[in-house]
Amino acid sequence: MSGTALVIDAVTVEFGSFRAIDTLSLAIDFGEVRAVIGPNGAGKTTLLDVISGITQPKKGRVIFGDATDVLRAGESQIARAGIRRKFQKPSIFEGLNVRQHIEIGAQGGLKWSLSRAELDQRVAEVLDAVGLLALANRSASELAHGQKQWLEIGMVLASNPSVLMLDEPVAGLTDEETERTAALVRSLKRADRAIVVVEHDMDFVEQIADRVTVLHEGKTLFEGSMANARADARVIDVYLGR
Amino acid sequence: MSSIWSDRPFLAVLAAVLAVALSLVTSIAVPFGLSAYLANAIGQLAAFAVLALSLDLIWGYLGILSLGHGLFFGIGGYVVAMYLLKHSFEVTGKVPDFMQFMGWTAFPFYWAGFGYFVYAALVAVAVTLLISGVFGYVSFRSRVGGVYFAIITQALVYVAMLLMFRNDTGFGGNNGMTGFAVIFGWPIGSRGVVISIAAISVVVLALTMLGCRLLLQSRFGMLMIAARDDEVRLRTLGYDTLLLKLAVWCLSALIAALAGMLYVPQVGIINPRLLAPDLSLEIAVWVAIGGRGHLIGAVIGAVLVNAIKFWLSAAAPELWPFILSGLIVLVVFVFPNGLVDLAGFRLHRPLISRLSSEPAELNR
Amino acid sequence: MIRSLALVLWVLVVAWCSTAHAMERADLIGKVCGDAAAMGEAGRAMIDIAAEGSPDDRAWAALIPRSVMDRKLSCDATGAVIASADGSVDALTRAARSAADGSRSPLLSLKNRAMFETADAALALRSSPDPARRAAALRTLERQASNLPEQLFEAAGRDESNPGLKAQISAVAQGAALNSPDMDKRIAAIGRVASSPDRRALALVGPLTNDPAYGANTDFRRAVDAASAAIRRGITIGDMLATLYNGLSFASILFMAAIGLAVIFGLMGVINLAQGEFIMLGGYITWLVQEALRLIAPGLLQWYLIIAIPAVFLVTAAIGIVLEAILLRHLYRRPLMSLLATWAVSLFLINLVRVTFGTQNLQFVTPFYVTGGVPVIGDFIFTWNRMFAIAFAVVTLGLTWGLMRLTPLGLNIRAVTQNRTMAGCIGIAVRRVDMLAFGLGSGLAGLAGLALAPIYSVNPQMGQNFVIDSFMVVVLGGVGTIAGTIVAALGIGQINVLIEPLWGAVAAKVIVLLMIIGFLQWRPEGLFAIKGRRK
Repeated sequence: MSGTALVIDAVTVEFGSFRAIDTLSLAIDFGEVRAVIGPNGAGKTTLLDVISGITQPKKGRVIFGDATDVLRAGESQIARAGIRRKFQKPSIFEGLNVRQHIEIGAQGGLKWSLSRAELDQRVAEVLDAVGLLALANRSASELAHGQKQWLEIGMVLASNPSVLMLDEPVAGLTDEETERTAALVRSLKRADRAIVVVEHDMDFVEQIADRVTVLHEGKTLFEGSMANARADARVIDVYLGR
Repeated sequence: MSSIWSDRPFLAVLAAVLAVALSLVTSIAVPFGLSAYLANAIGQLAAFAVLALSLDLIWGYLGILSLGHGLFFGIGGYVVAMYLLKHSFEVTGKVPDFMQFMGWTAFPFYWAGFGYFVYAALVAVAVTLLISGVFGYVSFRSRVGGVYFAIITQALVYVAMLLMFRNDTGFGGNNGMTGFAVIFGWPIGSRGVVISIAAISVVVLALTMLGCRLLLQSRFGMLMIAARDDEVRLRTLGYDTLLLKLAVWCLSALIAALAGMLYVPQVGIINPRLLAPDLSLEIAVWVAIGGRGHLIGAVIGAVLVNAIKFWLSAAAPELWPFILSGLIVLVVFVFPNGLVDLAGFRLHRPLISRLSSEPAELNR
Repeated sequence: MIRSLALVLWVLVVAWCSTAHAMERADLIGKVCGDAAAMGEAGRAMIDIAAEGSPDDRAWAALIPRSVMDRKLSCDATGAVIASADGSVDALTRAARSAADGSRSPLLSLKNRAMFETADAALALRSSPDPARRAAALRTLERQASNLPEQLFEAAGRDESNPGLKAQISAVAQGAALNSPDMDKRIAAIGRVASSPDRRALALVGPLTNDPAYGANTDFRRAVDAASAAIRRGITIGDMLATLYNGLSFASILFMAAIGLAVIFGLMGVINLAQGEFIMLGGYITWLVQEALRLIAPGLLQWYLIIAIPAVFLVTAAIGIVLEAILLRHLYRRPLMSLLATWAVSLFLINLVRVTFGTQNLQFVTPFYVTGGVPVIGDFIFTWNRMFAIAFAVVTLGLTWGLMRLTPLGLNIRAVTQNRTMAGCIGIAVRRVDMLAFGLGSGLAGLAGLALAPIYSVNPQMGQNFVIDSFMVVVLGGVGTIAGTIVAALGIGQINVLIEPLWGAVAAKVIVLLMIIGFLQWRPEGLFAIKGRRK
């Protein structure tokens, strides 16, 4: 499966008089890993908020797959349609243990679709993928920061999403953990899945991204390969620095 | 939440409650058992404990603080009082005081059918579900939560109190309803009946504890805790938290109404002061003192605080508000997780770590 | 020079008057002693004296009607003698003398007796030093007001010193003129009545539609219709203004109670359930200041409301700061527990005050500057006590706004409200800002208590009546915005007073709550929420 996964069509988001996203248009294809980078306040996280339904834009549309207008749906509907997102700040349930997180992520909705056996298998697969299998019965509150990041990735991964959005997946991680995360993201790449990563770590981005979009003041400044982005004068000016 | 069999503190408290129930049941049969006075006090404590459980369910496990749970307690209480008055009237023929006061000779039309307990109970369920459902739906839909939700529920119970203070509503007005004579055809004041109601209350408490415990260890309970810890996260995993919260909220309201139905026959009176904002706040205090997010914490808190209150209201009523405020400050400073800290119970670890801090979000 | 000339002139005038009146007085005594017709004339003459006579004449005549009615006046050959407990005097000269032999007390006919009673009342109204006696006289005259000379009420109204009685006199006068036999006078009177449109005026003009003249005389009918329309319009406007005014004063109190709550909530996410008790403490400190003044400086007692302002603010602010420092700072990350903790404070303060001062309402002196009011239109009186609360709120608003916008503390409060962590990072002493802001919020609540003292009962429970309304103001207004608090306070205050007369106070509260819940469907963060990215 290929084609366009997400179309962001002339979206504008305003907070009071501040325009966080300014008539931004963007298309993300299935099968690609897209990195969205840019300085603080460029609108990266707000973009993910719009796609996941947390923030309603003032204008514009977001189309998922062939026809689903994301903006007409609530957050949980969007998630059930197959768009999942990891938050910038690791968001986990401190009252639950690791395996319960994956169970919740795998079921995705108040109607439980998977049988016990299917669920157990899925949980084992995902925990293995994010490297937390040994900690399955540990409370999430006891995990280290990096483990929490992975747990959240596992949670959003568990339902096999078509669109996977990762907001700063390596923030606060050690180099070794970053390396492992990069490998994990690469392994998640599939022809029927679009992956969107927001990140400040340029080396990490270079390792994983097929294309990068550079946002600046709510607009697209550049779109293309990471190598080209590093060479682009405007990108260097506003973001990468000389 | 882990299996019930590994939760020893819970089992210990449940066993104690069942033991009390057993001693009450045997006291009905033998004349030298517990006195009616003591049984009545125990029964009232059990009703309060059920009420505390209802609040703990939504506050401790869903993170929603209601400062208006007295409203549902009051609904249960008022409905059962209506049953008792109508039933007593049908048996003894005595016109209730509030009707004499208003100069009425016939019951208002909406009292029809209240002579039947089953009907009254159905009305209690229906009214509780209606009010909690509508209020919960509009609040959770617009994502009102945290402190906002707490003070709006407080306003809700306050407004309900003002309504019930009116004499023309046909619910007893500011004097409330009292003078219950008969329950299920039995004289309500006799020792056997008093002890029976107390025994039923304690049994209901045990069943409520068990029911809540089983709910919490189910998948549904898991989702409740997830919603408490990070609702946005749960929603963006595909779960409609509105339905989840609404279901638990309505269940909690029903349990509170059940507590009211147990309470009023034992105190023999209901008046609008049951709907005072202070009582609703006090429920939260019982739970906080006992230990929010522990079922046994709610039970222990309610029983302990009310036992002290019973004792002081005879010994030194002036002192009670000072003791209560002192207890709250004690909980805030010394036992942030409530008295379960003091007991040093080895509880389920995830809960303990979570309880020391609420989500810092204010109104989301 | 001029003054002495004027004095001479005055003496001359008085002398002339007294000689002229000496003859009239003798004539009057003669008529009193005459036949029934003459006695009737005497009665009318005395009423005229009451209406137009000099103060001297009135004082002189005042004794006569009652003496005749009580048969204390005897006529003899030289004139008449009035008997009293202190001995008898000559009716004309008031020199002591006893009646000659063969004197007789004139007997009043039924008609003349009524006339003399009226004369007695008219003279009493004009010359009695006792307001109760004047009021009684007015009641007597009211029944036949239309038959009495207009000048009587005009003069009595002009000279009357008691404001209540003065209003009554003018009411009676208007009523009299309305029923005057002279149609022009009636119509003129209708116009005069309509010029102060209130319910009393309507009660005067309304019944005139049943008057025979209403059907017979077009001018009269037109005048009555125009007048009652004008009066009704005036009453409607007056009632509307009164409602708005009451709403405004209620909103002022709500604003002062809520602004502190809103600042604290915006800053720390803590809803202070003890806010109502700070209002109560404000009332009690005001009372203590009043009592202290009574002991130390009774001359300044009237000014206690003004003198108490700094005391109330500083003491309640200090209590707030202490509370923040020892209790609330441990709870910023646990907003729900802080609700319970502040409730504990509320419980403690209520009971502390109850044990110390008792549960009864405090007695406040009503200073002259919050007494009475100015009648505006209809039944709307612009009362000073409510105006005090409104003005107080406006000043408080101005100062709070200035503090928040123009001072470093205000800047810090706004910074911490928007982003606590960042504010801490750039070197703002966040804890100190919290403490001062809590003090500010508490002090403002205390001032609300002071403003309430002249219009509300001050007792340990009083705070409870405001606190839930103030919560609603904060919920409606949004977190930590002054503008939101003002709009919400005005809205809730006005809606409350608008609904109250229609369906009662309870319905007003129910409807306000339902409206707020409905409103939150539309704007969950209140009117003036600061928008931003979530999470």
